[in-house]
Formats: sequence, C-alpha cells, structure tokens
Amino acid sequence: MKLNRIGIALIAGALVVIALVVILLVHRQQSSRSADVRASGVSLVRALSRIPFKYLDSDSQGPSVLNTLFAYQNNGELAYAAILDANGRTLADVAGRGTFVPGAALPPEAATSFGQRTLPNGLIEFYGPLADRSAGQAFVRVGFHQPGYAVLARDVQFMALLALTMFLLVPLVYVVVKREMAPLDALGHQLRQIGDVGIAQQASANDVRELAGSLQAYLQFASQRIAQLERGSLNASADNQVLQYGSKKLTAALQSLPDGLLMLAPGGLVSFASDKVEPLLGVAVDAILEQPVDTWCRDPALRTLLARYAGNQRDTLHAHSVDFTPANVEGKYLSATVQPLTAAHGAMAFGTLVVLRDVTREQLARQAGNDFVAHVSHELKSPLNVIGMYAETLADADADDETLRVESLNVIQDEIERMNALVGNLLNVSKLETGSMSPERNRVRLDDLLRDAYEHALPRAEGKQLRVSLDLPRELEAVAIDKDLFRIALNNLLTNAIKYNRPGGSVLLAARNEDHEIVISVRDTGIGIAGADRERVFDKFYRVSERDAKVARGGHGLGLYLAAQIVELHHGRIALESEPGIGSTFSIHLKIAPAASGVVTL
Amino acid sequence: MTQRHILLVDDEPHVTRVLRLALEKAGYAVTVAHDGHAALACMAQQLPDVLISDIQMDGMDGRTLCPLARSTYPDHDFPIFVMTSMTALEERDWARALSNTEFLEKPLSPRQLVARLARCFA
Repeated sequence: MKLNRIGIALIAGALVVIALVVILLVHRQQSSRSADVRASGVSLVRALSRIPFKYLDSDSQGPSVLNTLFAYQNNGELAYAAILDANGRTLADVAGRGTFVPGAALPPEAATSFGQRTLPNGLIEFYGPLADRSAGQAFVRVGFHQPGYAVLARDVQFMALLALTMFLLVPLVYVVVKREMAPLDALGHQLRQIGDVGIAQQASANDVRELAGSLQAYLQFASQRIAQLERGSLNASADNQVLQYGSKKLTAALQSLPDGLLMLAPGGLVSFASDKVEPLLGVAVDAILEQPVDTWCRDPALRTLLARYAGNQRDTLHAHSVDFTPANVEGKYLSATVQPLTAAHGAMAFGTLVVLRDVTREQLARQAGNDFVAHVSHELKSPLNVIGMYAETLADADADDETLRVESLNVIQDEIERMNALVGNLLNVSKLETGSMSPERNRVRLDDLLRDAYEHALPRAEGKQLRVSLDLPRELEAVAIDKDLFRIALNNLLTNAIKYNRPGGSVLLAARNEDHEIVISVRDTGIGIAGADRERVFDKFYRVSERDAKVARGGHGLGLYLAAQIVELHHGRIALESEPGIGSTFSIHLKIAPAASGVVTL
Repeated sequence: MTQRHILLVDDEPHVTRVLRLALEKAGYAVTVAHDGHAALACMAQQLPDVLISDIQMDGMDGRTLCPLARSTYPDHDFPIFVMTSMTALEERDWARALSNTEFLEKPLSPRQLVARLARCFA
C-alpha cells in the first residue's frame, strides 16, 4: 500500500515537473518571439521611412515596395503596412489576408519620432514620419500580429521527447532510492512492530532478535557503503600517508644508526643531523640545522674535508675519511667519512653525507697494542743487550779471571731464563686474554702439585744461596683446579720469591686448611714491597721500582698479573702481605671442592 | 795525560757493571749513577769529561737529565752519549736540540763504546 502511494506521488511529481518545464519553455519562447517582432518592426518602419514616397505609392507604375514587402514575408506575422498623410488619410496600404488597417489616429509625436503601440485584435503597431515630403507630411504605419501560443506547435515533438525522458527517469531514480533505503525500511518496519507489540506488553524475544538482526544487517550495509565511499577518499590520503610513513621510517632508521649522520644540502647548509651528532661533536642539533658548516664546526680537520666538497671538484665524487679528536668533546676519537649524496648514477645530487663514527675504543686499543709492542720489544731487547755485553766481556776477559767468567756465564744464563719466562708468559697471557685458555677443573690433591713446584724451585734457589722449605699439613682438602694452569701461577710466585730475595734468605711454600678454603702461601725474606706498589703489583706490566737494588732482577711485569688471572679463573683470590726490607707473603685462597662432585686425580 | 772521568747513568746493574769493567780497562775513571737525581749529585761533586746515560730509568730519566745537565753547566760542553733501545724518531728530537750529543744504539758493544770515546778524545 505504502509503496503504491510513493509510486503515485512520484508519478504526480514527475507530471508537475514536466508541466512546469513546458510552461517555462513556452514563456521563454514567447518572450523571445515578442522581442523578435519588436526588433523587426522598428527596423522595418525606419527602413520604410527613408524610402521616397513614389516607391511606396501603390498607384504609381509597377508594384510598390509595400507590395514587395508583403510578397516577401511569409510567416504571417506582418499584418499590414500603410502610408498616411497628416490628416490620417491613407495614401498607400497593403494588408495581409483577413486584416485591415485600423483607423486609430496616430499620436502627435509621430510627426517627429518613431514609436510603437498595442492595438486591439492582438496587433502591435510601429509608426514614424516619412522622410520624403514630396506628398506633404506623411507617416508610415506597420502592424504585426502579436505572437500567439500557436507557434508552440512546431516544438511539440521536442517537448514530448523531453517529457518522456523525464517520465522514464523518475521510476529509475525511485528504484535506486528504494534499493538504498530498503534496509532502513525493514528496520523501520521492525521498530514499528516492536512498538506495536510493546504497547500490548507482549514483546517477544523473537521480535527483538529479528530487530537486532535487521539492525545488524542495516549497520552492515551502511558500514559497507561508508567503507565504499571512504575508500575513494582513503586511496588519495593513503598515498600521502604511505609517503609520510616511509619518510618517518627512514628518519627512524637514520636516527637509530650507531653513527652520527649529517647531511649537507648542495648549498652547504646542514639539512639533517641525527641525534648522535650531539654527543660526538659536542654541538646541539638545533644549533647546526640550516647553518653553514663554518658557523658551528670547530674541528679544522672536518672543516677542511667538507670544504673540498663545497666546490664541483672531481675528487668530491668519492668518499674521503679523516680521523680527528673533536674540539668540543674531551677524550674522544672520531672518524668522519664524507661522500656525495647522489642518485641515478650521479645524475641527481642531493648534497653531501657525513658519517661520524666514534673510534675511541679502536684508537685506544691500537694505542694499547702499540704500547704493548713497544713494551715487549723493550723487555726483549734489555736481556739481549745484557747478554751481548757479557758475551763480549767473556770473550775479552783474561783467561785467568775466573770470577768474571763465572759471573758472565751466570748473568747470561739468568737473562736467557728471563727471556724464556717472558715469552712463555706472553703466550699464556695472550691465550688467557683471548679466552682460548679455558681451565679444565678437576678435583686435585694439592700435595703433589705443591711438592712438584717445590722441587722445581730448589735448584734455582740453591744457585742463589737460598733455603727453600715446604710446609704441608697431613691432610689437605681437595680443590677443583686446572693443574697445568695452577702450576704456572705457583711457579711465577716462587720465581719472584727467589728473584727478589737476599743472599742467605729463605722461601717458604706452605698450605693450610681453613674454613671452606685452602690457603697456599709463598713467603720470602726479600726486599719487600712498599705500600704504594702493593696495590699495583698484579697489574699487567707493572714493575716495582728497583732504584735501590744492588743487583738487577729482570722482571717483565707479567708474572704476578698472570698468577692473579689464573687464580681468578679458579674463582679464588690472591692476597699480599709485605714489609719492605723484611719480606713478602703471597697467599692464594681456593674454595674446597665438595667431595661428591668431580673426579679425584692423584 | 790525566785520566778522563766518565759518568755512567743506567738503572740496569748488569749494564753498568759490564761497561764499567770495559771503560776502566780502557783507562777511564768511571762513576756510576742509577738515575738522573744521583747523576746530578755526582756532577755537583765532580764534573765528568763524558756523560753516558740511558733513557728509560725509574726516578729521573735520561730525557730530563741530559737537558738539565746542559742547562746547569752551560760553560762545560762535555760530550753526552744517550743509550737507547728505542729507535722511534720522536725519541731523538729532544736529544737533537742538545749540543755535542750522540746516540748509542742498544744492544751496545763495550768495544764499540771504547772506540767511540777514543775518537772523541783524539
């Protein structure tokens, strides 16, 4: 029922619109016809007024102009044309079929000017004075039929076509609108149903469910439509967003690089600076953006390098690097790599890219490496120097100078041993530091290991008139250690105890059980170690000053370092007690290994 | 001819021992100091005819001692020999600035040292 009403309303609406359009069209056409008539009337009267009277007079020879005029015009609009004298008498006239010249008198101004007037019977008249006065004062009058609605007949076909098109369009629009509105209609229907039922207090779950279903369907439909519509605009803005996203992603990537980045525009201004630049160069990013390099860069090396890229020089097609210490940041070494930013094989130039890398660690490592090499070569050269000199002394010595011969041989032997120890310890330190020396810890009875070390030290000590003793308890708890590594640590301690002893002194190697640990101690009666040195004796390459020593004790600053490292590798600790002039005691504290775990090796 | 006096400065006892033997055998009087401070103290007592010094020493090293010896005794342009195992060029710059100063490259031969000194006093 309702749909029918809508249909009828639509059809009626369409008809109204068609009628309106037709009326508007007719009105427009008529007014345009009227204007045409007026224009041709005015021009016709003016034209006629200039024609000599004799050509207008129908009584003279041949057809007059008026006759010709009528013969020519064919649309029937021209009703009549007449020439009148001052008394209103007709001198000449011609009229269309069924028309006559009305007898209405001309207004007085017709003698001097042209005019127009509307006459009864649907006539419009144009008049004016005749220029030729050969027949006295005369007037021209031309009458036209007012354009009627009859002229519309020609346009009926066009009108009909227009009306048909509109009439067909209406149902089409109706169908489209109906399709769009159908879900809403269904929803409305449901709501009404619920409403009706609600009044009757009988709302059933089914109705509500149906309503919910319809609502959902509608929402789905609506959201689909919205999505459809949005997709169009989204596609446009999505392109933009993709670009923005890409740019943000790129910036984030540049910012997260460990190196500092600077980009210079072709003009030399800083167009981008990553946050890492600030700690590297000691200049705020905000202070350098859009600024030329010379205004903020205080590092001559970097400025010189960047200046090379300012011009169009050939070498600026390639990257160049420079290492420098930044003027604004202390204790840093930087490496700056500068290269042109180009694309499309150099066809497009975006300026210059500067990559700043913190090479402080590399530089320090290099320096430490250089120091190490210098130190080791010095340590090797010193004994070589002594060996060379003693060898020469030996060669030049008198055959009977037995004391000098023995001394020379002893020194040479000592120095060779020193070099040997240095090379051995160097290898061990290198293994230890590169991590290639991993301890193989086994539960070991320390007795044998200590006895071995003691026996190994005996001959060396006797050569120096030293007394070496070993003090072990009857039962020594087992510890988990790497035997070979531990032997190196023990030997280094014993070597020092012998080396830094005084003639007639003694060395005591002892071990004892304490709570949860075993303490191994090496005590000497040597020169002792002063307080300032005590904390540093375990440092790599540290050597206690031997200013007051009467005899050289070639150390190389690795023995105690290595011993301490090995003990640490066993999770133990090494301690030092010392009194200058009386002696030193180095003690190694090791945790006792739980009896259950590991293998006991004897 | 009076005995020439040589001040020998090195912290390595083996070195001073051997060089002293060789120099004394060649007829020189030798005083040994184990660092720059001791050497300056010796100079205050008796100016040497030749100063032979190591560079790397605990206490005052040769780098400090040699220029100090020159500036303390401007009227005595005794020859200075610097013993060094360092071959680095920068080590030599400070010594170049001193007059009458030469290098002795380690390993050092006592025989060569004696010959050098002989040329020096020839």
